[in-house]
Amino acid sequence: MSINRRHFIGSGLAAGGAIGLGGCLSGTAAVGMPAWHAGYATAPAEGFAPRAMKLVQGQVPRGLTGTLYRNGPAQMSYGDDFASHWFDGDGMIQRIHISDGRAVHSGKFVQTPKRIAEQAANKFRATGFGTIGDPTYPVQSSNDVNAANTSVIMAGDELLALWEGGSPWRVDPDTLESNGPKVWRDDLKGMPYLAHPKVEPDGSIWNLGMSGSRIAIYLASAGGQLEEFGMTDIGVPAYIHDWAMTDKHLIILVQPWLYTRQIPPFTNSLEWKPEDGLKVLIVDKSDFTKTRWAQAPARAFFHTGAAWEESDGTIKLDVAFYSEPVLGTGGGTPEIAGVWSHKDNGTLVSNFSLLVIPPKGDARIVETGLDGDFPQVDPRRHGQPRALTCLATGETKKHPNATTLTLQNWDTGSAEHFDFGENRMVEEFLFVPKPGSTAERDSWLIGPTLNIKTQSQEIHVFDCQRISDGPVCTWQAGYTWPLGFHGTWSGA
Amino acid sequence: MTFTKTIAAAIAALALPVLATAAPLTITVEGIEKTQGTLRIGVFTADGYDAGDSVTGVDVTVDAASETAIVEGLEPGEYGIKMFHDINDDGNMSTNPFGMPTEPFAFSNDAKGRFGPAKWDAAKFVVTADGAVQIINLN
Repeated sequence: MSINRRHFIGSGLAAGGAIGLGGCLSGTAAVGMPAWHAGYATAPAEGFAPRAMKLVQGQVPRGLTGTLYRNGPAQMSYGDDFASHWFDGDGMIQRIHISDGRAVHSGKFVQTPKRIAEQAANKFRATGFGTIGDPTYPVQSSNDVNAANTSVIMAGDELLALWEGGSPWRVDPDTLESNGPKVWRDDLKGMPYLAHPKVEPDGSIWNLGMSGSRIAIYLASAGGQLEEFGMTDIGVPAYIHDWAMTDKHLIILVQPWLYTRQIPPFTNSLEWKPEDGLKVLIVDKSDFTKTRWAQAPARAFFHTGAAWEESDGTIKLDVAFYSEPVLGTGGGTPEIAGVWSHKDNGTLVSNFSLLVIPPKGDARIVETGLDGDFPQVDPRRHGQPRALTCLATGETKKHPNATTLTLQNWDTGSAEHFDFGENRMVEEFLFVPKPGSTAERDSWLIGPTLNIKTQSQEIHVFDCQRISDGPVCTWQAGYTWPLGFHGTWSGA
Repeated sequence: MTFTKTIAAAIAALALPVLATAAPLTITVEGIEKTQGTLRIGVFTADGYDAGDSVTGVDVTVDAASETAIVEGLEPGEYGIKMFHDINDDGNMSTNPFGMPTEPFAFSNDAKGRFGPAKWDAAKFVVTADGAVQIINLN
């Protein structure tokens, strides 16, 4: 499938970018670095004080009120020493509060023990996903290496900064001040909690935590109280970053990327064993002992969209599959140091796919050919039948990361696109339901791009009815902050 | 507020006739977050440190954020301390389902472990004929 390029050059947005305030704050691309490196720059230690973004294009839709929270690694170097892996930089929460047609940005680092120790030493110390670290750095609990940098979720009146190997970190949703680890229950202190919780339409929060082949299962209320905890086992110590959920089942994709050695950093411990294929464990949400397995061809992945079940029991879910693991040892390392070439770093792209698991027999993979990742769905339909998934697609020779926002329609098998052009790096967009509506298309898609030409972060709002028309409105910060991974939307 | 408690360890008490001249080891534990349960303190020599085979130990009921225990009857030499706060008083260091401790623990010299207990070389200290003092931060 080819993507219809639809460039933004000459549009109001480009004109607006020209009057941006690029470069006025730290966090922009450093001297001697390529312009896209602003996405991998180290953010100011004190964070970003609240500051109004400039509406540079369109009109802010009526009724759009809420807050976009995003998390991502934002300490990418100490002096000349660059982080050894993109996943190991300390998490910084970016908060974009939208009300009365205005957008205000603020940002703050999550103050984990790792963050505090490394800031005090002014150097990287903790071992990580791809960082060996200082062998004298003490590690007495998973939270001593917790980067809290992968995602965020609202649980009651708390914002939780999520990593995958340690506790969620409690953050004040208004001030972004850190309030220590989330303890779901006293006997679960220090348990890992993946960065990809799944939220039911009623607000219930399901998630997993991994340790070797053992999997912890959490169910919390919308208010953040633990309601159920259980365990299951996938038989092999696979690396699991994300998973999927229907209204009845937890779907655990066991990719054949196995933790076979205990050699720090984590990626050195992993071995790719495609001969095992991709196994899928399906766990009954009402009884975790009721499970069944399905077999699929070998694939690696980081992210799913969401799953649903059809009337005959067939389970379908969308996944950004790769033919083999990406971002393994040293993943993202050249980019962090400002080095990137499409030839050397951009060769392994995803093939966004639908995994179809029949009630009996092997699963099959329906590939779209879309080179995308960061899939998102309508939160009103999580776990239920739906047609749409949005994702970031469109590689370029000019810089790492995506250029295009895509809306895949599983009912028709077609996709709609909006190509931002080569001067922007497109991040994860979220479905935000329009107030008072129910239809899937009655959503806005809200997310950031980093405009490398004007050195400005931008927040765009698309109408899900017509994404190829471009954003209905765009704000520019006039400065940049580092690329994030995942976010959440908290409505008014 | 600090309470001081003098507790002669069980083994030391049994060995009193032999070790009567040995010096006291004063152990002050600070940074206790929950005022409940018991500090379970083990004193080890090099031989038993890794295996968890203590030469003596004391239990201290927690009434305050800082507690002090005095271990009597040690012969002069090198020792190491492993301790935990048995918050729920079940006699064991509680762990989460993945086996990680859920109760606070510490070592002599405030030595820290790296994916395991602190090493003997980091935790060891000398008890002289005049005794020794260890101030340990629990968190």
